[in-house]
Amino acid sequence: MKGVQLGEEALDNLFKSLLAEGIVDVLIIPQKIGENVAYTMVSDPEKLKSPAIFTPIFTVNAANVLKHMPAEKKIGVVFKPCETKAAIELVKLEQFEKDSVLMITVGCPGTYKLEDYNKHADEIGDKLDDSKIEQLKAAGCEIRPACKICEDKLLETGDVLIDRTDGNILVAAISEMGEEALTVIGEIELTDIDTSALESKRSAIIESAKPFREEWKTASEELRDLDKFLEVFKDCIVCKNCRDMCPVCYCKTCFFEQPLGKPEGVDLLNIVGLRGSIKVPSDSLLFQLTRMYHDCFTCVHCGACADACPKEIPLTNIFPWISEKVKELFEYKSGRDVEETLPLLTYQEDELQPRE
Amino acid sequence: MAEDFEPKIVVFACNWCTYTGADLAGTSRQEYPPNVRVIRLMCSGRADPVFLIKALVNGADGVFVGGCHPGDCHYTKGNYYARRRINALQKILEQFGLAERTRLQWLSASEGPQFAQAMTKMTEDIKKLGPNPLKEALV
Repeated sequence: MKGVQLGEEALDNLFKSLLAEGIVDVLIIPQKIGENVAYTMVSDPEKLKSPAIFTPIFTVNAANVLKHMPAEKKIGVVFKPCETKAAIELVKLEQFEKDSVLMITVGCPGTYKLEDYNKHADEIGDKLDDSKIEQLKAAGCEIRPACKICEDKLLETGDVLIDRTDGNILVAAISEMGEEALTVIGEIELTDIDTSALESKRSAIIESAKPFREEWKTASEELRDLDKFLEVFKDCIVCKNCRDMCPVCYCKTCFFEQPLGKPEGVDLLNIVGLRGSIKVPSDSLLFQLTRMYHDCFTCVHCGACADACPKEIPLTNIFPWISEKVKELFEYKSGRDVEETLPLLTYQEDELQPRE
Repeated sequence: MAEDFEPKIVVFACNWCTYTGADLAGTSRQEYPPNVRVIRLMCSGRADPVFLIKALVNGADGVFVGGCHPGDCHYTKGNYYARRRINALQKILEQFGLAERTRLQWLSASEGPQFAQAMTKMTEDIKKLGPNPLKEALV
């Protein structure tokens, strides 16, 4: 692996150079906007004023922005590993061309919900580490449930990896495209780097996620019952925020925007006539089960659905858990390699239910 | 009450095998329970899992998908895809105790008696399971 150690200022200059040297036409990057941090799209390097890539906050999954991007423009994205994973799934789903996107993954310490960050912005800052997470937990401010169970906070995926350990910022090229992009930038000289520190950090992340994963599994297993499942979804108002915020729910026209999935007027009356009584808005269970099936292979466990739910349904206990069960069946992991085939696009002649 | 329970079972049958097998069962006067409602599809690969979910949510007590034996698909690989899809769906439904209500089986055009047997078995099994709880639930 080739990489370089950079200072904060040099890193900001790197992003500017990506635009100035024409390596990318547009850069999607989180920036400070007043007190807040949000994703921005920048084409003019002069307007890239305050990148805030280390701020531990989850607003939206930035992979959503990449859907339907034309192949002619080169786009750079600076985002978290869960977002890179989602982008890779979107490439597999043919939502944009891999060659037109430079994916820069930033190692993530775990993130806070936007509301929590706004309340504790000063204490959280942009240099989050494990001891700070503990301190804030005592103050009643916890990282998102999806981040607690995440094992991929330093996943080597995408084109470039940026990681900060104890104030040292490492920029490393993962793919050929990433290496090319970094070499074009004049001030940077890539050298072979020692990956053992990254490896040990990675195993520490997996280790610290373990107790939370156990907790999460127990909580999820408790839902393993139809009555409890219905109880959890009784509050669903079918606002479809979970679908809209989900990076891998990608259909241009959703089934639930069509007459069959969104019955109105006479259709609705017919259904009531057939069943005797229904809940309104109708079809919340059909919607949730269908979404579970549609996303079970590509779910990247980012927790955007849970963040978006206005009724605070614990979707992190449901979707990632179901998806892990299904992925086990096909020995598939989402967001690893663009060359991997989606389980439903392939088959083996002798599997699952062989010829009797 | 349980003894009076007559389940409703939706059968999605492939035009080239299971549906023709059902035809053969009829013409050769094989008897099977009247609880099944057969819907013809051109291939078991057309059985979108959403059909199965919708049937279950709307109160069907069981859903059966019949396709060609592996290697015999009229479109060469539709049944292989169906197998992956239905298995994934069953894995999801398993978490909520609904997987037993769905079944995927291979039944060729020449297997009239086997079709009758499969329908009898499915009806018996669903009778043992009892009515679909979603029928009474407000969903």
